[in-house]
Amino acid sequence: MDAVDVSEHYEVTSVDSPPSLLSIVIDTNPRAWAALESRLSLSQALSNILVFVNAHLAFSNTNQVAVIAAHVNRAVWLYPTAAAAAAQKPPAAARDHSGDVQMQDVSAETNNSSSSASANKYPQFAQIESSVFSSIQSLMAETTVQDLDQYTTQLSGALTLALCRINKASQALSSSDTTLSNAAPVNSTAPPPVKGRIVVISVSDSEPSQYIPTMNAVFAAAHNQVAIDTIALAGDSTFLQQACFNTNGIFLKASNPQGLLTYLMFGLIPDTEARESIITPAHDTVDFRTACFCHGKVIDTGFVCSVCLSIFCEPPENAECLTCGTVLALGNYGAKPAVLPRKKKKKKKIANGSGREETGSATGTPKP
Amino acid sequence: MISAALSIITAFNSSARPPSNSSHQSHSFVSYFSRIKSPSITRSSHFSATGSIQFAMADSDGEYVADMSDDDIMDHTVTDGDPSAARPKGSKPSKKKRDRNGSKAWEQSKRTWETDLPEEDDGMLNLAGYEAERRRRLLRDTTPLQRGIIRHLVLVLDMSFAMAEKDLLPTRHRLTLSYAAAFVREYFEQNPISQLGIVGMRDGVAVRISDMGGNPAEHLERLRELEGQDPQGNPSLQNALEMCRGALFHAPSHGTREVLIIYGALLSSDPGDIHDTISNLIADRIRVSVVGLSAQVAICAELCSRTNAGDESQYNVAMDETHYKELFLAATTPPVNRTKEQSTSSLLMMGFPSRTLAPGGTTSYCACHSKPCREGYLCTRCSAKVCRLPSECPACGLTLILSTHLARSYHHLFPLRNWVEVPWAEAGQSTACFSCQSPFQEPPKPNREKGKDEAAPAKASAKGVSESGRYKCQVCGNHFCIDCDVFAHMVIHNCPGCQSQSQAVPVGVDGVMAEANGNGHANGDGVMVIDG
Repeated sequence: MDAVDVSEHYEVTSVDSPPSLLSIVIDTNPRAWAALESRLSLSQALSNILVFVNAHLAFSNTNQVAVIAAHVNRAVWLYPTAAAAAAQKPPAAARDHSGDVQMQDVSAETNNSSSSASANKYPQFAQIESSVFSSIQSLMAETTVQDLDQYTTQLSGALTLALCRINKASQALSSSDTTLSNAAPVNSTAPPPVKGRIVVISVSDSEPSQYIPTMNAVFAAAHNQVAIDTIALAGDSTFLQQACFNTNGIFLKASNPQGLLTYLMFGLIPDTEARESIITPAHDTVDFRTACFCHGKVIDTGFVCSVCLSIFCEPPENAECLTCGTVLALGNYGAKPAVLPRKKKKKKKIANGSGREETGSATGTPKP
Repeated sequence: MISAALSIITAFNSSARPPSNSSHQSHSFVSYFSRIKSPSITRSSHFSATGSIQFAMADSDGEYVADMSDDDIMDHTVTDGDPSAARPKGSKPSKKKRDRNGSKAWEQSKRTWETDLPEEDDGMLNLAGYEAERRRRLLRDTTPLQRGIIRHLVLVLDMSFAMAEKDLLPTRHRLTLSYAAAFVREYFEQNPISQLGIVGMRDGVAVRISDMGGNPAEHLERLRELEGQDPQGNPSLQNALEMCRGALFHAPSHGTREVLIIYGALLSSDPGDIHDTISNLIADRIRVSVVGLSAQVAICAELCSRTNAGDESQYNVAMDETHYKELFLAATTPPVNRTKEQSTSSLLMMGFPSRTLAPGGTTSYCACHSKPCREGYLCTRCSAKVCRLPSECPACGLTLILSTHLARSYHHLFPLRNWVEVPWAEAGQSTACFSCQSPFQEPPKPNREKGKDEAAPAKASAKGVSESGRYKCQVCGNHFCIDCDVFAHMVIHNCPGCQSQSQAVPVGVDGVMAEANGNGHANGDGVMVIDG
């Protein structure tokens, strides 16, 4: 249609691909990193991750990065941090009466924000690096001995934070009127304005008590077309395996943790769009077994309460659900399988207890 | 069309006069229905200039032409909440004066071309109303209720002549089909272990569109085939309900049996007495909810209230496209179990198979579709291979699901608590949203009289909107922005603050349920309330 009246000439078509927001969740469990120390230390891992971040940023000017630490007892932002946001804010707020922004000397600003700024480094790289390092240092300094009592990490919180950030970024880029009518976005066919994805660098086991919040985050990610990729350096991360499967992400089990950068650069650099045209590492088997609520046993066949969907490994006592207290009908569990009804046996009438063959007459043959 | 007598419910409004004009013939039976319980009947007359307009004016035969004079036409240009401002001065002070005083619901409806964003003096957009709208959708009762999670629902779509109306753009029929596709996706996202069937009403009979099943792709395919068909004929409520009854006959007792009807017409062409059908529905524990598109119809109201134990909230009439979508998609949330007797709860045996590849990279046939496939799931009891979950093992009949399917429904049972508004007095403790790190407005200085005086009345008017733009989770005390508030409650169902700080997490037998997530455990140990 546009070709007829030549108006397509005036259509501004942007060939730029939508920006890609990479959120990296680093599992900073001190115990697990201490166990890995001989092969890969946390500081080495961080520098590898920063190279990966820089590679992602170098793809496009519009690409963004967020880094989150999943620590033993909390999840914190490493980049961007509230402090960094506050540091950026004053120049924007300092408008004079004509609405102009006061320009500041560049060298003065970079000297303030990062002491290690060099002329040979792209300032954004330096900014992220200094932010990540300083946040990690303060995080480790704040970690107390009591915190180390916990063995696992606050993964669900870190995923939730990353998803909120991606959601905000995509809302900022999409037009505002669609967000009102689609407060519950259902048309998942349209591509999102931001290609969001989350890369989890995992070193510890999955915590069963975080199952529901983690799964909530996974479904939200699948809903918003955000892929969750995982590189598992150590530990048994069952939930993350399921998360990757559900969100079409990549799950890599790193047998040689010292090659972290290689895994990242070769396995996890393509974004969700590029992934359609390359062959990604496949999930061969995914463990979908679940833990029962009563004993914490991993089971593959279980009993589910129809009211609250709690899973039990055996019918609970008194047929009463342990979670919601409902009395449950056991259904036909334990009943014999339905087969063809048993044929009624013809009753042999035995007359007079003797083995004499029956004759048609009601009375026996008179004895002589 | 079947030649059934139009046995429509003679009991209702017998006072309506038969129309004098013969051109009204096709609409005459609408007068049997009780009229105008909701303002939407007026809306119907307002937007459809040809069809049901005669219906609304059926009482005023002589004045009919006069009423359709310019003041009604000018109604189309009504812009904002105040109808009197946009109306010409020469508007007749007729008997409709009573109606003019209070603005009708349809007058407040926001059409896209009418919505102009409110602008304040300084050129900044006043988004308080916008925020209030988003909050209103968000705030809901967060008491954990016992819900029917395993659902069996039949969606009944009106495909009769009434759906050709263009009051919902592009037409009612096309809009319904696109919303139905959205409904199917959302339904299976929210209720992964539930079943759905689709039935259509056209030519006086009920047409089966798709059978009861748990696979969204199948339903979407069938819905796509409908797009080429034009709506025609009369709808038949009774035929459709009888077909639904048949489809739900085999639904197990622990699941719900529901019917959702999208009803555009104001009549029903039934072969028998629909009251018998309603009684049968009640006997079969089927609950019916109806979304009307034109006006409230008495038989629908009766149908909903009788099958829902007197609850009348299941019958709603859509005012505009947005409202329609909202009503339609509201049915994706699992219904509340009202009484213990309504559904017998039972313990279901289920298998949680793991995904496996066929050994040696070979392919094998799946037992469910007899298609060769590489990967699949092996039944945990008999090791038959199925290619897709959730399903029932074709060999031994065990229900096979993914544990993630169960996890997807947990948020209905333990909803996230609503967050509260933060006044300026407490706003100082945060400078940026906890979850997305976007900066907040700074609290106003006490001596800055300009900003405060202007902002205060506008912000205070909108209910549920925080004046400082911050919203607080009452469990963890962190502050969040409106976007994260909406996202956390609508999509993710986690509180980012509670999840990011582990308080002493109680790990016990039900430790999975009792985690500190700000999720509403109003009853302490997670026992759910049975409503009513």
